[in-house]
Order: sequence, then C-alpha cells, then structure tokens
Amino acid sequence: MDSTRPAGPARDEPDGVLFPGRGEMARRMRAYPWAESALGDPHDWPASLRTACRICLTSRFPMIVWWGPDLTFFYNDAYLPLLGSKHPALGKPGETVWTEIWDIIGPMLASVMSSGDATWSEDLLLPMDRHGYWEETYWTYSYSPLHDDEGVVRGVFTAVSDTSERVIGERRLAALQDLGSQAGRARSAAEASQLVGRALAGAADVPFAAVYLRRPDTGEPVLAATNAPGAPPVPLAAGPGDWPVADVLRTGQPATVTDVARRFEDLPSGGWETTPTEAMVLPLPGELGGPPVGAMVLAARAARALDDAYRSFLGLVAQQTSALINGAVAYQVQQRRAEDLADLDRAKTTFFSNISHEFRTPLTLIMGPLEELRSRVPDTDEATRQELDVIHRNGLRLGKLVNTLLDFSRIEAGRMQARYEPVDLAAFTADLASVFRSAVERTGLAYQVDCPALPHLVHVDQEMWEKVVLNLLSNALKFTFEGGITVSLRPDGDQAVLRIADTGVGVAADEMPRLFERFHRIPNARSRSNEGSGIGLALVRELVGLHGGTITAASTEGSGTEFTIRLPFGRDHLPAGHVADAAAPSMVSAVADPFLEEALRWLPENVPAVGALPAAPPAPAAAGPDTDGPARVLVADDNADMREYLERLLQVRYEVITVADGLTALDTIRADAPELVISDVMMPGLDGLALVAALRSDPRTADVPVLLLSARAGQEAAIEGLEAGADDYLVKPFSAAELLARVRANVELARLRTHHNRWRAALIDSLHEGFFLCDETGAVTEINAAFTDILGYGPDGLPYPAAHPWWPRADTDPEGFRLVSAVFEQLMDQSRGSFVAPVTHQDGHRLWVAASFNEVHDPDTGRRVVVGTLRDITTEHYAGQREQALAAMGLLLSRATSVPQAIEGALHELQRLWRTPRALAVTWDDGDQPTLLSTGPERDWDALPAPLRAEIEALRQRPPLTPTDGAGPAVGVTVEHPQGRLAVWVELGAGRPFSAEDRALLALLCGYLGQALHRVHQSDQQRETALVLQRAILGPARLPAGFAARYEPASRPLEVGGDWFDIVELPDGRTGIVVGDCVGHGLDAATVMGQLRSACRALLLQDASAAQTLTAMDRFAALIPGAICSTVFCGILDPDASRLTYSSAGHPPGILAWPDGRVELLDGGRSYPLAVRPGIERTEASCTVPARATLLLYTDGLVERRRRSVNTGIARAGTVLLAGGEAGVEELATELMTTMAPRDGYEDDVAFVMYRHPAPLDLAFPAESAQLAPVRAALRDWLNRCALTHRAAQDVLVAAGEACANAIEHGHRHAPGEQVRLHAAATVSQLRLTVTDTGRWKDSQPGRNPHRGHGISLMRALMHHVTIEPGSAGTIVDMQLRISS
Amino acid sequence: MTTPLTLSTDQRPDGTAVLTAVGEIDMSNAGQLRDALDRAGDGPLVIDLTSCDYLDSAGLTVLFTHADHIELVAAPLLVPVLRISGLSDLAEVRQAGPEADAAAQ
Repeated sequence: MDSTRPAGPARDEPDGVLFPGRGEMARRMRAYPWAESALGDPHDWPASLRTACRICLTSRFPMIVWWGPDLTFFYNDAYLPLLGSKHPALGKPGETVWTEIWDIIGPMLASVMSSGDATWSEDLLLPMDRHGYWEETYWTYSYSPLHDDEGVVRGVFTAVSDTSERVIGERRLAALQDLGSQAGRARSAAEASQLVGRALAGAADVPFAAVYLRRPDTGEPVLAATNAPGAPPVPLAAGPGDWPVADVLRTGQPATVTDVARRFEDLPSGGWETTPTEAMVLPLPGELGGPPVGAMVLAARAARALDDAYRSFLGLVAQQTSALINGAVAYQVQQRRAEDLADLDRAKTTFFSNISHEFRTPLTLIMGPLEELRSRVPDTDEATRQELDVIHRNGLRLGKLVNTLLDFSRIEAGRMQARYEPVDLAAFTADLASVFRSAVERTGLAYQVDCPALPHLVHVDQEMWEKVVLNLLSNALKFTFEGGITVSLRPDGDQAVLRIADTGVGVAADEMPRLFERFHRIPNARSRSNEGSGIGLALVRELVGLHGGTITAASTEGSGTEFTIRLPFGRDHLPAGHVADAAAPSMVSAVADPFLEEALRWLPENVPAVGALPAAPPAPAAAGPDTDGPARVLVADDNADMREYLERLLQVRYEVITVADGLTALDTIRADAPELVISDVMMPGLDGLALVAALRSDPRTADVPVLLLSARAGQEAAIEGLEAGADDYLVKPFSAAELLARVRANVELARLRTHHNRWRAALIDSLHEGFFLCDETGAVTEINAAFTDILGYGPDGLPYPAAHPWWPRADTDPEGFRLVSAVFEQLMDQSRGSFVAPVTHQDGHRLWVAASFNEVHDPDTGRRVVVGTLRDITTEHYAGQREQALAAMGLLLSRATSVPQAIEGALHELQRLWRTPRALAVTWDDGDQPTLLSTGPERDWDALPAPLRAEIEALRQRPPLTPTDGAGPAVGVTVEHPQGRLAVWVELGAGRPFSAEDRALLALLCGYLGQALHRVHQSDQQRETALVLQRAILGPARLPAGFAARYEPASRPLEVGGDWFDIVELPDGRTGIVVGDCVGHGLDAATVMGQLRSACRALLLQDASAAQTLTAMDRFAALIPGAICSTVFCGILDPDASRLTYSSAGHPPGILAWPDGRVELLDGGRSYPLAVRPGIERTEASCTVPARATLLLYTDGLVERRRRSVNTGIARAGTVLLAGGEAGVEELATELMTTMAPRDGYEDDVAFVMYRHPAPLDLAFPAESAQLAPVRAALRDWLNRCALTHRAAQDVLVAAGEACANAIEHGHRHAPGEQVRLHAAATVSQLRLTVTDTGRWKDSQPGRNPHRGHGISLMRALMHHVTIEPGSAGTIVDMQLRISS
Repeated sequence: MTTPLTLSTDQRPDGTAVLTAVGEIDMSNAGQLRDALDRAGDGPLVIDLTSCDYLDSAGLTVLFTHADHIELVAAPLLVPVLRISGLSDLAEVRQAGPEADAAAQ
C-alpha cells in the first residue's frame, strides 16, 4: 500500500515506519540497497516479512528472520554481539552466515520451511567460528514459520538466547563441586594432588591440569599429578620450554601462557576439536599466607576464550586444590598431634595405674600379712605388738594418702564416678561422727553431735560423704586443744546445712583465702601433729562441689573455726546418669579406719582403738581405678563350695554374682555384662571354653574379660584356654592372694580398655564432620557429636536400623526417599564412595548432606562395617538450586503469553522450588474485588479462610518485593501488577526454614514475575485494542443492496491494518462510498484509520460533498499523528441520477466497467494525500454510472505488485470486472480477490468496495390484488434504471405481473395476507426476476382456470427462461431475460 | 384499492360503438371491463386501448369472451401481448399512432 504513493514527502516517511528504530540494525536496514538484492525494494516485500523485520528491529531480545529460498538473514541489535566478527551479515544467505553450523541448523530450518512446524531447541551445542576460533556455544531457540498471506511458509522467525554462559557456568560449577567433594579424603599432599588429578579428569573446562608440589627440602617443584592418563606431556625441543612453574613459585603470581601450542604437542583437548592454546600457571598458596605449597598448570579449553570468567574459574580450581593439599597437610599435622596427645594420655593413665599398682599392691601385701601377724602375736609380746601397730597405722595412712591422690586425679580428669543415693543424711552423719566420739572424748574435749532427722532424704555418694565428714572431724580434732567440737545438721529452706565447729586455734584472716587450696598448709599453726599433706580440705571442697553443694569456713584466730556445708535437697542438681533411686543401707565403711587410726595417734594416751571399731574388712581400697563403685564380677562354677569360697574371697572388694552353669552365665552376662567373668572350665551344659567362645562371637560381649579356673595343670591346658579367648588362666589349687591379684589385674585391664574406648570416642567426637558406623545390616551403631549436631539424632537412640529415621518419608517425599534408598544401596554394596542426599533433621527440617564412606573390617570380629563421615551442604545445595530456579523462572516467564498464564506458571515454579503445599496469587480490580489464582483446589477468594484473607489483604499495603512473614508458616510478597498490586502468598512446608537467602530469592523471582507481567500485559492490551478496532473496521455490518466489499489486513496476528472502506447511506437516498489507506501497518495504522474513518463518515452524514469532506479531512488529519499522507477516495452515488460525484486524496483511481465492455478510470477530482497541503480547496469530478455497470473502489494492495506498474494491476482488475459481468457482485468480489492475489498471497492490506448499478430490487407485499399496481410502479421505475427498451420493460412488467397475480390468487385462496416477494436483479446482459409465494399453483390443470393458462403462456412467451417450482412451502417463479445492449 | 382505470363508451361518427379504456387493466379491475363489455351488447364494438398502459391475462380473458364482435385499437406497447395471447387472431387489432412506433424501438 505504500508503493503507489506519489513522489514527495510521502515517499520518505514510510522507511522509518518500515524499519523503525534508531539502532544500528534499523539504520543498516534502511541504508541497505535492497532494490539491488533478490528481495527487491522493501515496499514490495511481503507484508509478513516486513512485519517480522519490524518486530525483530524493535525487540531487545536477540532475533533473526530468515527469508526466502536463500534464507536471507535479518537480525537486530540484540543479536549483533552474537555474530561476533560475522557482523555485518545483513541480507546474506543464511548458509554463508552460519556455514559452520549449517549441518545442524540447516536441516532444522529446512524442516520448518517444508512442514511449517516450529522447532524448539534447548541448550543446543553449536560449535561456531565467529571470533577467529572454534567456539563452544549453547543456544536455546525456536524456529517458527513465517507465513505469507496465503499461509505458505516463506521464512523462519527465530528468537534466540545464548545460554552458553549458563551451561558452561553450570559445568564449571559441577567441576568445582567434584573437586570440593574430595575434601577430607587425602591423607597427604601427594595423595591430595592425585585426587585433584582424578577429579579433574574429564572436566571439559580443564582439558589439561598438572599439580606441582615443592620438595620439602629444596623447594624445587616436582610434578605430583596430572588429570591425563599416561606420562606427562614432554615439551617440544624447539619450543620455548616447559611450563613456567618455577617462575610462578618464585614470584607467587599467576602466569598466563599463550604459546601453549609452541611448547607442547597434543595436549588433551578436553573433548574439543582443537587442542588448548592458552593455559594458566597458578601458585598454590600455603596455609595462612605461608609460602606456596606448589603450583598448578591449568590449560584452557580451546572452545572458550580465556576471559575473566574463565580465569576466575581456573583461579577457583587452584584455590580448591590448594585447600585440598593444605587440608591433607593439616590432617597429617593434626594426626600427629592427636597421636602425641594419645601418648600423653596413655602415659598419664599408665602413671596412675602404676601408682595404684605400685603403691597399693605392696601396701596390700604389707597389710594382709600384718593382720595375720597381729592376730598371731601373743598378748604377752607387747613390744612386738606395739611395733606391729606402728606398721599397721602407717600402712593405713599410706593407703589413705594414695586413695586421696587417686580421688584427686579422678576428679581432675572428670572421671570421678559418683553414685548419688537418697540417704537419711542425719543418721548417716551421726554414725560417722560417732566414729570419732571416743577419740574426742579421750582428749577431754566436749563433743556435741546434734543431727535431728531432716524432712527429706539427701542424695549423696556415701563414700564421698564419709570422706567429707571424716576429713573435717579429723581436722577439728587436730587443731583443737580446749573446748569442744560441735557437729550439727539442720534443714534450711531447700538445703541441708552441716556445721562442724571447733574452739581450736583458728585460722589467721590472711590465710583464709588459701584455706581450701591444694597442698597448702597453714604455716606455724599449732596442731596435734605435723603430719598432713595439705590436701584434705581441698578434697572436701571438690567432693562437696560434686554434690552441687558449697562449703564455707569462718574462723577467728585463737577462738575456733566453723565449716558450713550446704547440700541441696532433691536430685535435679545432680547428673541424671549417676543418681540412684534407692540406697544401699548406709553404714560406715572401711574408709573410716585410717582416719580414726590417724587421729588416735595424735592423742597422748596411745591406745589402740581398732577393737572398738565396728568390724571392718582390712582392705585398703574398695575398688580399682576409674570405678563408679565396686567392680561387678560374675563367678560361674558348678561346685557350690567353690562358689561360696570365691564369693567370700571376692565380696570384700567386688560385687559378686554367682551362677552354677555356663548357660546361666551367658544369659546373665548378656543381660548385664560384668567387669570380669571368673569361670570354671569344667561345667555341665556349656563349659568354660564354650562360654568364652560364645561371649567372643557376640560384639556386645566380645570385650568382657574372662578368667578361667581349671583343675588341669600344664602349659597345654593354659594355651587351650587362652586360645579360646580367655584373658587369664588360673590352675587350681590357687592361693587367695594369687586369685585376688589376678582378678584385680584383669579388672583394671578391662577398665583401661574401657578407657581406651573412651579415648577413641573422644577422638571421634572431636571430628568436625559427622561420623557414623554402620554394621552389615546397615544399622548405624555409632555416631559422634557432630553427627548429632547435624541430624539431631543422639547416641541414646543407637542403634538406628535401616531405614534410618532421618530418611525422607516415602509418603510425603517419594523423590527424596528414592534418592536416599539408592544411596543406601551404594553404601551397602560398595567398598568406598561418596554421595549427596536429602535427609530430615530430627526436628523435621530438610537438610542436604554430602557423605563419604569406607568399608573396613572389625579386627575383633572380622565383620564388615562401614565408616562414614558427613557434612551439611544444605546451603551450597540450595544455592545451586536457586541459580536453577532463576533460570527456570526466566524461561517460563519468557514463554508466557497472558498475564494469568504468567502468574500461574510462576506460582507452580514457586511451589516446586520450595516444595510448598500451596502458593496463591491475588489481584484486586478497580472495585477492590479480589481475584484468586491458586495452585490448590480453591478457585474462589471466598473459599479461603477468613484469617488468611485478612492477612493477604494486609499484605497488599506492603511495598512491593518485600517478603513478609505470615502468621503461620507462610511468606507473602507483593508485585507490581499492570492493574495495581499482585499479592503472592507462599505457604511453606513444615521443616524447611525460610532463610534470608530464600527471602532474597523470592523477591528476585517475583521481580522477574513483575517484569514479565508488564511485558505480557502490553501485548494483551495490544491484542484487545486490536480486536476492538477490528470490530470497528468491519464497517457497516450489512451492506446496502448492490454493494460488495472485501477487507484483508496484511498484519495477520493483529487482523487490522491501515486500509478501510465505508459505505454510508445518506438520508436522501444517496450513498457515500469511502475507501482509504493510512500509512503503515498494524496497530498504529489501525488506530489512525479508525479515527479517519469515523471522521469521514460524520462529514458525509452532515451532507457535505465529496470535495468538502476531503477538505475537512485535510484539517482533521493534520491533527492526528500518523494520519498525514493517508489517501482517501470519497464518492457520493446518486442512484436515481446514475451519477457518482467523487474526490480523491491521492488515492488510486476508481474503476468503472461499462456494460458495453469499456473500462473507465475515475481519475478526476484528484489532489494530494490528506494533510499534505492543508488548506487547499479540493475539487470533485463526476461520472455517469450506467445501468449494469460495475464500480470498483480499492486500495493499492489490490493492484500493486513488485516490479510491475500499478497500471498493469488496474487494467487487470478492469478485465476481471468485465469478465465477471454476468456474476452477482458478491460472487464477483470473491472472484476479484482470488484472481488478483499474488502467488504468495497479498503482502499489503487490501480493501475494496464494488457496486453494480442499479442495485437489485427487492419487494415484499401482501397477497392482495390491490398491491399489483404499486408493485408494478416500483418495478417499472427499477426497469427504467436498468435502461431497458420500452418494449423489453413492458415484457418484464407483464411477465412479472402475471407471476404476481398468480401468487396473489393462490395466496387469497390458501392463506390470505401472506407475503409475496419480488426480487429483480440485473447483470450486464441479463435480468432475473423471482416471485415467491406461500401457495401452490395448479398449472397442471390449466383448463379449470383458462385465463391462468394465458398468464403462464404470456410469461413463457415474454421471457427467455421461466421455471415454476412448486414446493410444499410455496411456489417460486424464476424468470430471466437477456438484454441486448 | 383497485388499479386506476377509466372506461367510457362513445359512438363514432359512423355509429360504431367505442369503449375507451384509460389506465391499466389487471386482475383487480378486469371485472369493470367485463361489466362495460356486457353493457355494450353484442354489436360491433371498438375497444380503444391507446391510453391503456398495461393489460394482463385477466383483462385478456374478458376480451377473449367478446372476441367475435370487437375490434381493438392499442398502443404499440400492448400489441405484443395481444398477439402472443392469440387474441389478434380472433379479433382485429390495430396499432395506434406513430408515437407508438418510436416507443417500440
């Protein structure tokens, strides 16, 4: 429609419209000499190509148009950088632009061209040569067919996005993750280097990597690993040399090697066609800024430029590598430190066990025989007895000292194993105090013990309490010479308060602060004895502290000291594991002996008081080290005497359980393992050897030490027993001392072993990574503290059988469950490996962990166990997921074509991302009526619960993109919506906390959504506007008789354009005919057109002439942007006068086809297009419209063809009109549209109006004879317009009259008042009349109506062709008459 | 309402009775023509249709019943109908006036 413009300003303007925009490609498009190309002048291009080019040029998204058989290449500014050095490629055949990928995209394009089906390619690899090297690129794009107006595919439209950065970025991230997952596996720098080499094998972005480590001694770099199999590449003899590793180590700065190809031949290419040309050599920094541990060579993939992103990736690889190497080195150091610590601890343990052994064993060996000796010495030998007593007392004292020291060491190591029992503290304390009564009274001091019953039992460890009370009493006695000692116990609130007060020497005020200090002795204090270690009070304070109590002292020098101990009632302050529910009967134990013995020694009268003491066993110690009570010893013997003997012998120091046979022993041990089993070898049922074997085969009892007793002497028997797994072997008869020694040794050894286990446990607990041990069934049998920290499951729940409680549930998270099940299989089947899996914390929240595991064999049992470590990678995992989410959301939104579709898609994406039960979106219309979109089943705002509705309403007031927490587990955020505010509400699944990162991501995703909504809304609006306009353009819904019209816009998707037509029936019977054409296509042109059309119609209805109308339109068009240069043909048809007056504003001439075969062009009354010369007076012309002539008014799209004169098209249209002289206008319009269409369809808007003069006559009248005269008059009038001869007119009049008379007669007879219809139409050489009634004719019986017979004969005689079609609904008479002009 | 038709009877100087019809004759008013002919009796009658623009088969039927004693004078426009209907074979039909010739072109 643009090309038939007259020369002048109209010619310049359209280029800007055709190729709009100020971008480079728009300029190039305009400047390109298209006319010399195969495509020709753009004004002649098919409309769809022009539209596509315009979309392309105005888009900021990279787009290409391929057109025609050569797929001529068009692209926009956004696409320009994607072309690289290929730019400029405008107008070139596609194959010459993208030669290197033509084998891939050529067939795709061909298939679109041939099938018309669009293609979709996501992240497709296209190796390109656009920057002087073979480049690896990835693209997501769709090839969509471009149709011409006839629906034939003529080109391809492509919107592309370069996804290379993302695809390659993800690949690099994966490589880094691979590398990162090696953490903690290497045990040495060399091993770490090899791990790095293996992890990088096959990493596309690191085709070649080499790790060099510095020799610890010389610092020289030595190749430690590469990522390529086989020998390392050898530098070319003629080249510049090897990698500059030494330089990099010296400078500490990375180096880029750009002459790789000159240095090495055949470096691995990483799966690309060409080998690397560039590489980086990077230092591997040591820990904490120390000297580099080595350097790393990383070759760059030839497919990608070594740009900043690539460099930073390689930098990260080196960083990861150095972290792995440093980690391994640190591991070695830590390992050594741990071993040193273990050695120290072992030494300490050994030292204390040595003390116990070296001191206590000789003490025992002294005290035992001493007792014997004392009982044997006759009373007469007083001197001997006294000396023995001295030995005995000192032995006791030494034992007390050793025990106190041991107590301290235990407390210090936190190994004091107390057993807090509910005790009647008043009675127990009074008993203890009574031990000292005789000694105190013997000194002449007053001794007052005042311990009334307390309201509650007090939880104390009896042995500790003994030590507390006895130490304080002995202390008081030691320093008091006059007055007395008072012991009182009282309740005070929730505490029991013990006061031990004396009237002794007191403590100087400046000494008070050091009173409880260990090994501190008050200097120069007067006392009954100089003996003392200075640790008694310190121990008392520690023991009281273990009970959660306090001790204070108040003293005045010279007048006495009072110690106050406060113990809380109840048990909450005590460690739960050490509290017993019931007490063993409290009684003063052997602990008291040494205290009393010692105290008595201080007294002037040295009277032995042992006999006064309650009978107490002479043992120096109740149990071995590390005990939380006497060791439990199980005795299995079928001989009752032997059992009783052993029990008697052992019960002094041990808790003894006796059983009579092996099976009972096994059951008892399995129920509660003792610290030692003493078993006879010969027993009924299960003998001793079988018992040992059974114990050893069960992991729970494998560690229990067994001492076998046998009557069989000899090496073989002993070996047999030891081979069976017994720890010790004793042959009967044995001495009591020997048995006790062996028992003690074994118990102590067992406790030591327990200690080793504790050490191991402590070591495992100190690991930062979660640690676990699985048995053959997959049950987790051991874990460390970090494991509990990560997963929330503690050691108290062990063992955790598979499926472990941290597995995702199969019902709520089948995907997670499947993943973990697969991982578990791997764990059970493989000897080593690593995995990443989702797990559920005990509190329900979702975690991602990375774990690695190794299979080991238990040296004790030989069983397979799996040792693994795991770490929490939730953050990293979600970070990766977030990147994907952004990409997925971007893609999804870019494809959305409507606002609801975009919102719905986004909601599902949010739901998928956060595994939310539900995501909602709410918009509000102008009346504040909310509209809901939900991923849930509810479709209606009112279906939501009221509190939720209130929350979402409140959310609406929040600023956009600011996530706000809901009352429940939900987050809301608002988004700018084209029509106000959109509220997005995401309900969160239980367990997954919504972190700050999540909030940022939600805001980001919603930001994407907001942008997409605006984009989609704009195109929505365009479509809607287009539809409204389209309705307007269709012009009069019903055309007046005699007219036909066609309208076809070039811009298919919009279905409107700049062309229009209008037919205005004026009140005086005339008809206004308007055909116009605005500059441009599509929506913009349609908007202008709508205004011009309305204005023109209004002017015509105001009775303006054609020239006046266009003059006024000039002024009007000047006011409308884009209306200038519109062309209009405006005519007024007077059918009575058979005249058309018209005026043309630069519009192509109308065509009038005369019945005599002439074609007249209506080219009078012509002037400029609208508003080009505003103010000029327009003229008009007029022409006769002869009867049976056909008038055609059209826009240039109908007749304009590329490389052809428009006159050719006009002549052709005239020919079509003449040839169709016999057809009705409607039929002829269709014929014209078809005949004139170019092979590939119309490329421009087409509009035309066709009129045949005169318009057909159509009369309907009641079936009454009185109607005949007026019908005849109307018909006569019409026949006159048809310009028939009088004779012919009369013939028609009579024939029609007969037909009407018949119809009336039948109508009268059958249905009076029915309608009769007369239709008459003229073509160039023929008249055609039809008369239709509702009755039936009787023409088969003409005799009965003789004059009717005359009528029909008259009709047949007068007309050339008559048919009478009787039917059930009426009769149709059809008559035709040829007209000779 | 019926189609306008004026019928008048006259005597020619030669005594021949003349019935002049002015207007159009169709089904709605053919009865008037019949009545006029009946009144005119069985003697020779000239029916002057020179000013009659239209005559359909209803009018023809009336004329046929009197064909044996009538003579028709018609404008050229009506002649074809009279001839086609066969009336001109039964009754004498004369064409009137030269202006009719022109119209018949």
